[in-house]
Amino acid sequence: MVFAENLISNLFYGALLGSIYGVATMGLSLIFGVLRIVNVGHGAFIMIGAFTAFWMFTLYSLPPVAVIPIALVFGLAIGFIAFQAVIRRLVDAPELSTLLATFGIGIFIEELAKLVWGADYVGFSWDIGTLYLGPVTVSYSKILAFFCSVLVAALLYLWFTKTKLGNAIRAVVQDREGAVVCGINVNRIFALSFSIGIGLTVLSGVLVTLFVPVGINVYMGGDYTLKAFVISVLGGLDSPWGAFIAGFLFGLFENGSYAILGLIPGVEPFALTRFVAFAFLLIILLVKPTGLLGGGE
Amino acid sequence: MKTRSYKPLLPLFLIYSLLILIAVAVPGMWQPVAFFMFYVALGQAFNIFMGLTGYVDFGYVAFLGLGAYGMAIAIKYFSSLGLISILLGILLAVVMSILLSLAVGAVALRLRGAYFAIATIGVNEGFRYLIEGVRLWGGSEGIVLSGLMRRTFGRETANLLSTFFSDILIIAIAILAAMTTIWILNRKMGYALLALREDEDAARVMGINVTKYKIMAFITSASFAGLIGAVAWTLKLTYVFPEDVFNIHYTVEAIVIVMLGGAGTLLGPVVGGLIYGVLKYYLSVVFPGIQLLILAPMLILTIIAFPEGIVGFIKKKGKKSRISCYLR
Repeated sequence: MVFAENLISNLFYGALLGSIYGVATMGLSLIFGVLRIVNVGHGAFIMIGAFTAFWMFTLYSLPPVAVIPIALVFGLAIGFIAFQAVIRRLVDAPELSTLLATFGIGIFIEELAKLVWGADYVGFSWDIGTLYLGPVTVSYSKILAFFCSVLVAALLYLWFTKTKLGNAIRAVVQDREGAVVCGINVNRIFALSFSIGIGLTVLSGVLVTLFVPVGINVYMGGDYTLKAFVISVLGGLDSPWGAFIAGFLFGLFENGSYAILGLIPGVEPFALTRFVAFAFLLIILLVKPTGLLGGGE
Repeated sequence: MKTRSYKPLLPLFLIYSLLILIAVAVPGMWQPVAFFMFYVALGQAFNIFMGLTGYVDFGYVAFLGLGAYGMAIAIKYFSSLGLISILLGILLAVVMSILLSLAVGAVALRLRGAYFAIATIGVNEGFRYLIEGVRLWGGSEGIVLSGLMRRTFGRETANLLSTFFSDILIIAIAILAAMTTIWILNRKMGYALLALREDEDAARVMGINVTKYKIMAFITSASFAGLIGAVAWTLKLTYVFPEDVFNIHYTVEAIVIVMLGGAGTLLGPVVGGLIYGVLKYYLSVVFPGIQLLILAPMLILTIIAFPEGIVGFIKKKGKKSRISCYLR
């Protein structure tokens, strides 16, 4: 009975956290889909978002939910600068160059952040009450974060499907040459998608802070980069929607298996959960390299 | 054997001998040179796979980590054999990394580009969390050997092993990896890999057994990585922790070195490893704490300005000149 309650509570938490994972991976998938660039420095942008939330909360006592639009604009600006300074010159370069360049950008941002915020762990807690629902105990701020991430994903979906610019981006994902022939300014789409991808990622960093109250650190991103890789492959790598659903599933899976693996004596369930996740990634890549939720080649 | 095709070894050995000379002759330079040579060896080993095939293995550090564990296990359980346990450790390190490379090769080498890169990250991280999760080989507490080594080998020998012998071995590994590289480059395998790197599908259509050559390069590169891990980490530092030896940071350093010098060239890893090692060492002395802040923009600039690396750039400029036969 204790186990069942534990599992239910873990799955509920996993669903909430999974939606954050989803938003945190959409940017990665969008950038890969449009530019065919794997952003290895992905986690650094999540970290920037987390620190934005931290600063806004401690300096101006702005609640994280109100920081979301600020973080989005901030992220759009960083993404645009990074694109104009570096990525623009590497769009047609071999994969290696872009992997390294994005890695370099990630390190640069982390080190700049270290100059500004120092290397210590910081945190804040935004307490707006707690929900008690049977075996589930969860703070309202996490539930709010869940609704925010669903809202962000839904708005993005509407923008992609209903507007001309959104359609243009989807056209470039499907067929770059075809899009050029149709008169789409592909370079503008590249700049726009990269900025939006980074904007989304910084935004997700704000939501992440509601789940890691004292885990904000300039090097926190690495963990999220790895998770985002697993999730984006799960979702088909080039589809932001696939990524959102995959993030949701990953959250459920991660927290569910934590409860189950905790039953095995003599193991560390936390590390073993990660192991299962990466083993799962390899199996997916072997069986269906286009991702669990992705289409055919 | 044509001597002409081995001419590029001349500048290579010139650089190596100069380094060894500096290490021996200038007081206080032994440890810095050993530090640079670690990066040169890492670059040489990684270049055999990444440089020659064009595949980016983001989980490369797993082979170093496994090699480090191989050495640690040998010393821990066979220390009664005396110094033979070190030899056993070297053997075990190579065997373990070859076994892993076979497993990874069978799974991941079917994938290409970004998918391959992500799959190899998965292997590395999965392996680390498996060790921590089921508490294999000491789990997250790792293996600490310094006390055991002092007791069984004697204080003098243990000190000599970690401050002198391991550095000599690293230099030997760097030279051996460079020799292997030019040996591969001069054989059919080198040309096959070149074709594969330029266009894998075309190479396959031409009748080249791409899978065979890919796996051969992968295994060679992995066994050198195992050696480096065993010698430069376990033997030198006398401890192994999973979060250190599976840290993706080292993979990235290897990629940076190969790219800086020139992927697929013989001299590239030496040049790249030296530049990277020297910069890292002296920047951390002159600007402690912000060396990465300087290194990162330099990396980005290099990628934009010299996409073929420094040696690749010089090679292209000096194509018709007399030095061209010394560059490779």
